[in-house]
Amino acid sequence: MNKTRTAAIAALALALPAALAACSGDDDGPVTLRYAFWDDNQRPALEAMIKAFNEDHPDIEVELEQNPWEDYWAGLDSRFAAEEAPDVFWNHVSRFPTYAANGVLLPITDDIEADGVDPAAYPEDLYDSWQYEGDQYGLPKDWDSIALVYRLDALEAAGIDPATVNDLEWNPVDGGAYVEFLQKLTVDANGNNALSPDFDPENVVQYGTAMSSNTGQTDWWNYAVQNGCSLQTEPWGDYAIDAPECVEAIQFTADLYNKWHVAVPAESTNQPNGGVPGDYVVPGQAATTLDGSWMLSFYRDGLEPGSWAVADNPSGPVGSGTVINGLSNAIYAGTDHPDEAWELVKFLGSEEAQSISTGMGSVWPGVSSLNQGFADYWAGEGIDVTGFQTAAEGTTTGYPLSMNDAAFGTAAMDEFNQVWLGQKDAQEAAEAVVAIANAE
Amino acid sequence: MQTLHDTEPRFEPESAPRKHRRSNAAFEAYAMLAPSILGFAVFLIAPIVIVVVLSFYDWNLLSDPEFIGLENYRELAGDERALKSIGNTFYYVLLNIPAQTVLALLLALALNSKIKARNTFRVLYVLPWMAMPVALGVIWRWVFDPQYGALNRFLDLFGVDGAAWLTDSTWAMPVIASVNIWQYSGYTMLFFLAGLQAIPAQLYEAADVDGASPLYRFFAITLPLLRPAMLFVLITSVIGSFQVFDTIHVMTAGGPAGSTATLNYQIYLESFTQRNAGYASMLAVILFAIIALITLAQAALFRKRTTYDFS
Repeated sequence: MNKTRTAAIAALALALPAALAACSGDDDGPVTLRYAFWDDNQRPALEAMIKAFNEDHPDIEVELEQNPWEDYWAGLDSRFAAEEAPDVFWNHVSRFPTYAANGVLLPITDDIEADGVDPAAYPEDLYDSWQYEGDQYGLPKDWDSIALVYRLDALEAAGIDPATVNDLEWNPVDGGAYVEFLQKLTVDANGNNALSPDFDPENVVQYGTAMSSNTGQTDWWNYAVQNGCSLQTEPWGDYAIDAPECVEAIQFTADLYNKWHVAVPAESTNQPNGGVPGDYVVPGQAATTLDGSWMLSFYRDGLEPGSWAVADNPSGPVGSGTVINGLSNAIYAGTDHPDEAWELVKFLGSEEAQSISTGMGSVWPGVSSLNQGFADYWAGEGIDVTGFQTAAEGTTTGYPLSMNDAAFGTAAMDEFNQVWLGQKDAQEAAEAVVAIANAE
Repeated sequence: MQTLHDTEPRFEPESAPRKHRRSNAAFEAYAMLAPSILGFAVFLIAPIVIVVVLSFYDWNLLSDPEFIGLENYRELAGDERALKSIGNTFYYVLLNIPAQTVLALLLALALNSKIKARNTFRVLYVLPWMAMPVALGVIWRWVFDPQYGALNRFLDLFGVDGAAWLTDSTWAMPVIASVNIWQYSGYTMLFFLAGLQAIPAQLYEAADVDGASPLYRFFAITLPLLRPAMLFVLITSVIGSFQVFDTIHVMTAGGPAGSTATLNYQIYLESFTQRNAGYASMLAVILFAIIALITLAQAALFRKRTTYDFS
């Protein structure tokens, strides 16, 4: 019959033999490190960096363990429980507080000092975001921000000059130039755009934008910053998305779906089943999207060179703004090979390693001096990526820092999915999320 | 005398090896059972005991569990999501079991008659059960996509506006149930088919002589004699149905708005997205209790009925 057992039982059952097998010797022979990550786009860069690492460390073999984002954290948590976690893994700001507070991360403060790693090589904010109670728990791997990605053919067909795309403004009252831009790009089967009185919203062949973030990072959080909303009262503080300026941004996002009909419908884009924004832009279902810098290679691999470009984010009532984030490489506190793991993390945080990934156009580097190398790679591909840098230098917000991230994330996806579908009021949903996330 | 003398020694040495052989056989039997008993203990008994114990703990998977007594059980009373998931589970079982059982029975009746390409059909109907539920779930998710899915494209041809099947809280659960009915009916059919073939042909011949209608024959002979198969099918499919996970995980992940989060799925969410493994263990104990009660009730229900006298 439906041959399933509860996942909990399965995980615990798996933990037994794992515990029995956990005794591996720590002699001087070759050591194997397991290195966990989630982003498929970055795999080639990781492999190249590990190859370079092995030139100096032939005795340390690095095994890549890849799980998609949706399964990554549940898998990591259950392997922490089984005390069988990968030695080194990608860490995310949203999970960092809980991991650091529960002692599953290895502090590297002393190693940094002993080996003379210079924290000034990284942007201060980025480096400091991996600190907890005076200890450092990772070295910055990269940073990312959000910018507007668009298809040139769609703009041409709509008669929009690409030079105007950098200065789009929106407001919650009449939508502003940004919504007008998206309306021109939303075209129905009869060739009418969303500004036309004959426009048929039930029969759209190309939408202006696609929004399918599972948090808000590539959609409504950006409108939130641009409207003066802070997701949290302060870092480590309460969630505050029920404030008027936040609710207004949520309502504006819902309007893009249901009032202006310029976004691929939420029936398709709602997470966890919807695609990534690029899944709608590459086949032409959407003309533009706000997307993260880590996705550039996705567009490069999916679209013809010269058929797409990057522009600045739109500006809202309080100006421009974006969501900024960065990942780190962290070490599992229970690793059998802390010294080798540190060698790997140190290398991955070095200028040498990160120049490999920027040289492949993978991600903006954690090491500040390499930013130009990333921009140069993309200039060589005919893509001007300064939109991401401009965004990062302006007003930004990061992922909320909280121990209640899991409760917040689940409640937000649940509630806002209903708002995007037009089934729930923005204020009511925001209050429900805050009530759940601040309760714990 | 001679015969007695002759038989005696023959008797003695024979009895001793026989005894020896018997204990030898028992040893061999236990030795052969040992791997499965070990597997049973390690993979079934131990996890069940661990889950029951964990249900009295607060555990976030990351640090040591903390004993909190009955707190998890007390919390359940005020947990709307968990209570709703129990309701969702019964809703799913009611959508799933009657339709699946009736469909499987009809398929078995059809494929028990002498139609052409009977074996081909039998294989075809069992195929969905043989395929990976997760892979099938992914494909069905594409089929049910409201914008670009095959189903709504097909309905479009007839001018019918298809629903947003998996993001509409009214439709999501019936869609999940129908996918599972499709997937498991063929498998359930196999048990009915075996049951049908075990019914003695002379009963039908006697009924023919008495001039019984086909419908009467079905209710007087076929259905009562299928009772052992029916009991097996209902008990196993109801248990399986209460434990549905993979289709939901792939197609809706419990959404929209928790409308397809069954109790089993809620256990997963609590444990692996909320890191409440102790609370999830409590829910697992509740699920176990519900399934045990329903299985006992089913067995009792089937026992109460009078048995058909063959002799």
